[in-house]
Amino acid sequence: MANDNMIQIPFIALSIVLPLLGLTCLAYFQDYLGRRLALVFSGLSVICIIGALYISIASGTNFVAEQYSYYIPALSVLLNLRLDPISFALSLMAGIVAFVALLSGNTEQEHEKLAGSLILLFQASAMGLFAAGNLFLFFIFWDVGVVAMFFMLYMLGSANRRRAAMKFLLYELLASLFLLLAIMMIYFYTPLHSFDIQYIIQNSQLIPTGTQLLIFFFLFAAFLINMPVFPVHLWLPDAHTEASTQGSMLLSGALTKFGGYGMILTFFMLPMSSQFSVFIAILATFSAFYAAFVLMTVRDIKRIVAYTTIVEMSIILLAIASQNGLGIAGATFGMLAHGFTISLLFLAAGSTGHMFGERDIRVLRGVVKNAFETAYTFLTGVFATTGVPLTAAFIGDVLIFMGALQAFSLFGIIPLIALLLTGTYLYYVINKSFLSTKEVTQNINYIGASQRAGYLLLIACIFFFGIAPFIILNLFNV
Amino acid sequence: MMIDIAVVIPLVVAAFAGLFMRDNEHKAKYVALGGSVASLAIALAMLFNVLPGPPVQTFQWFTIANIAFNITTSTLPLNMLLLMIVAVMTPLVFIYSIGFMEIPSEQPRFYFEMCIFAAAMMLFAISYSFITMFIAWEMLGITSYLLIGFWYRKDNAPTAARKAITTILIGDILMLMGILLIGVVYHSFDFQVVLATPVQTASVVALLLILLGAFTKSAQFPFHEWLSDAMEGPTPVSAFLHSSTMVKAGVFLIALLLPLYESAGLLPLILAIGLISAIIGASNAITERHIKKILAYSTIEDLGLMFVALGLNALPAAMLLFFVQTFYKALLFFGAGSLMKANAEEEDIYKLCCSTKNKLVFYTTAIAAVSIAGIFPLSGFFGKGAVESAAMGNIAVYAMLLVVEFATSIYIFRWLFIPMRKSYDDSIITKLSYGAIPKSMTAPAVVLAGAVISASLLYQSVISYITPLGAAAQGSAPISLADAIIANVLALAGLCTAYYIYRLGHRRFIANPNKNLFAAMYNSTIVNAAYLRIVRSVGAVAAALSALDFAFDASIYALGTAFTKAGYLARRMVNGQVNSYALAFVVGFAALLFVVFVIGIA
Repeated sequence: MANDNMIQIPFIALSIVLPLLGLTCLAYFQDYLGRRLALVFSGLSVICIIGALYISIASGTNFVAEQYSYYIPALSVLLNLRLDPISFALSLMAGIVAFVALLSGNTEQEHEKLAGSLILLFQASAMGLFAAGNLFLFFIFWDVGVVAMFFMLYMLGSANRRRAAMKFLLYELLASLFLLLAIMMIYFYTPLHSFDIQYIIQNSQLIPTGTQLLIFFFLFAAFLINMPVFPVHLWLPDAHTEASTQGSMLLSGALTKFGGYGMILTFFMLPMSSQFSVFIAILATFSAFYAAFVLMTVRDIKRIVAYTTIVEMSIILLAIASQNGLGIAGATFGMLAHGFTISLLFLAAGSTGHMFGERDIRVLRGVVKNAFETAYTFLTGVFATTGVPLTAAFIGDVLIFMGALQAFSLFGIIPLIALLLTGTYLYYVINKSFLSTKEVTQNINYIGASQRAGYLLLIACIFFFGIAPFIILNLFNV
Repeated sequence: MMIDIAVVIPLVVAAFAGLFMRDNEHKAKYVALGGSVASLAIALAMLFNVLPGPPVQTFQWFTIANIAFNITTSTLPLNMLLLMIVAVMTPLVFIYSIGFMEIPSEQPRFYFEMCIFAAAMMLFAISYSFITMFIAWEMLGITSYLLIGFWYRKDNAPTAARKAITTILIGDILMLMGILLIGVVYHSFDFQVVLATPVQTASVVALLLILLGAFTKSAQFPFHEWLSDAMEGPTPVSAFLHSSTMVKAGVFLIALLLPLYESAGLLPLILAIGLISAIIGASNAITERHIKKILAYSTIEDLGLMFVALGLNALPAAMLLFFVQTFYKALLFFGAGSLMKANAEEEDIYKLCCSTKNKLVFYTTAIAAVSIAGIFPLSGFFGKGAVESAAMGNIAVYAMLLVVEFATSIYIFRWLFIPMRKSYDDSIITKLSYGAIPKSMTAPAVVLAGAVISASLLYQSVISYITPLGAAAQGSAPISLADAIIANVLALAGLCTAYYIYRLGHRRFIANPNKNLFAAMYNSTIVNAAYLRIVRSVGAVAAALSALDFAFDASIYALGTAFTKAGYLARRMVNGQVNSYALAFVVGFAALLFVVFVIGIA
């Protein structure tokens, strides 16, 4: 039993506020002290989520809720925060990814203050988004996250970053617009005019059917852009090609999960959406294959990894569309696993690019010779992507495809072939550029201890959740 | 609880302990050896039922949506057979590696990967649920991939590793599909539950997928070509993974699930694929020149024979061959590794020479060769005899098996005789170092030679050990006298043919080979071309979709540009001239009046 003393600690609110405190420290103190304080606050925010998780496990429920005063009384907008099994997994993942990005993503050690503060802002928004108890807060945190990410892409990264950042912003603004429209429609058509997600889940059937349909399409469009899934995926590869390592880690690791989480919420809030699940599954399958095939013509390591994100997120959309216990647990666990895996891959790819000044697999050779940690880390990331057992992705894949099998019979496992295609190309990359020593490319820079720590932390997370998935999955059984 | 899982723990501990020995790298091998001996001790304790607990033990990993994901292990006879094979082979291979792997800097990595492999193989041997099995299965694939590409400095190793992992990945995905389907159909992954439930239509699909997965791991047609390329790995790896243990995982899995395959009616498929693979393996082995690749094709043939026995529903015969094949094939690889080391890493059998100089290496290898040829009384005879006797009811199959038997005898003695020739080239002779073959490489070979001879004594006890389980099997693996005579005559005829052609040098039979015949027999190039064609067609689809992706992006960009253009056009109206504004005002006002009065009233 949890003692009463612990329940008093507002863990969820702290997890949002602490990164902002870190941001203040980073801005106020000198470089050295500021950076360390920022790290401490970012880490404390993750620990708060773990504390909330502990409370929920100890008290035998599968959620933790906190409620504060009215935010906007006139609109009856509460400041209510709620972590359920899905958001536990995602906010834990997002927090760790942000922490690792802050710790080790900046291989170039440029613009550390700016990058650090944007990461902390993004971390606060991610924590808030996954914990948001009403759609108003959800939308605010969504846009804060998008704006933080936009500046990260716009100000940090390689030469063509501005164009890629604008592309990202245009797509995301479209998504925000759809989201805002849908939220306003929900507000006006629910009997009590509420933004509260729990209330909407219980009362959404009172909304007229035609309006429900429209709301569903708006929400679906918004989250599809963010996930991203074909045909609105085009912003992602460009953004990753130009982004800094930290930007890429957060973009694929945490930002795309906003869309996945929102998509799960959409299906919860609007039960009528399950009538489209077959079409969504077909779209997801096509998208997975499309991305897997396009991936095979890509030569830039970061762009390759970016396309694997589209494959994985399409598979997660499939899981969400299958609408059963296995599918939802699989989508959650798949996103958790994907967040860690993709950040690891981007960290390794970014470090490779930094060390050798080259990310083109036609030129890059013999990474293992000069940087064996990075080469084997990338290899571990590839293992995790292809769903090797004892990595978290394996659990995700198993649950996702069992759910898909239940929902769509044998058609449900077809996207595994897309995963196979992705895997074969990733191994091609490994054996061409990483585990080979012909015509060795010379190092230009070396990575530091912080990068190694980042590798270790992410690998540890991947294996921890692969070996002990019950920590998250037991929450779904309560 | 899970006491049986203890057998893998020493190896896992040794793997990580060895990995962190940066300062004294040379000690990693002793750590690994210690771990493997400890595992062998635990395996022996399990064999003699010293460890407490029921034969099948279950540990609940996690449960979701009322489907339990269990880690289940078993010490039933079939599992113990494979476990003992692995547990005995591991220390022998590690001792061999002490002499073989000379460069200290690469030893921690080598022993790490080998220990993880051995642990995974032991876990696979005792696994009794699809989830446990698949965990071990994928670990086998990965360690195999890493070990094939171990010497990434070599030209072909990365390519060979990639080929292996691609094939293995195909198999893994098919296998995963099958397992998930099983989970959805049976709501359980445990072998007991699945074996006890009657086969349904959906589970036939699942069983087929699992069978295809097993074919990739066991290098059966059409997934067999990776195994010959896998010989790029160090020889201990070939002796351990790619002949005696890992490649047999597929055979073992099908053997465990044989009753299901029988009731699903998939046995003819297993028989056909097994026969095709055996013939492909034997014909390529006759024409290949690479010392290890000959043995690799021979392994494909052995595995094919095991599948033939399974396809005939002769489980004891299959498991007997499974058992005896371990020793002679590992011994052949040990001999090949020693020969290569003595000949400055030469791999072409026509360029190797004077193999009789080291008597210990030569005689142990010869024992293995006689055994694989199936000559009485060595253990290979019993394994092959059991399979052939099981096939005697089917004349076509039996005839093909006899052809394979004859071919086996020819290629293995060709393999043995050609390196015996003396060389008169000083530049080659000075490079020979037969005296420098370390004892750590010959000692395991001697042990294995003893096993090859004594395994024939175990013939009856192995059969009686595994038969209590084989509910579907006939209960024994009789060797008919007729087959014994025919097989031995054929094997000796093969021996004489090989002696006449390759030892006495009557090469005019093969000096001008018929090109078509040669192409038919050495068909690995054709298979590789077929693989390449598949890869190219995937690449073509990829190129087309990639072009579509670009076009798609460009069209969205064009849409954006069109809006900008429209903006420029609209801007022309804002030209700063008051008279044109006034005109617009008047026109607009007139239009408004028109709308309000004319249309509004109407």
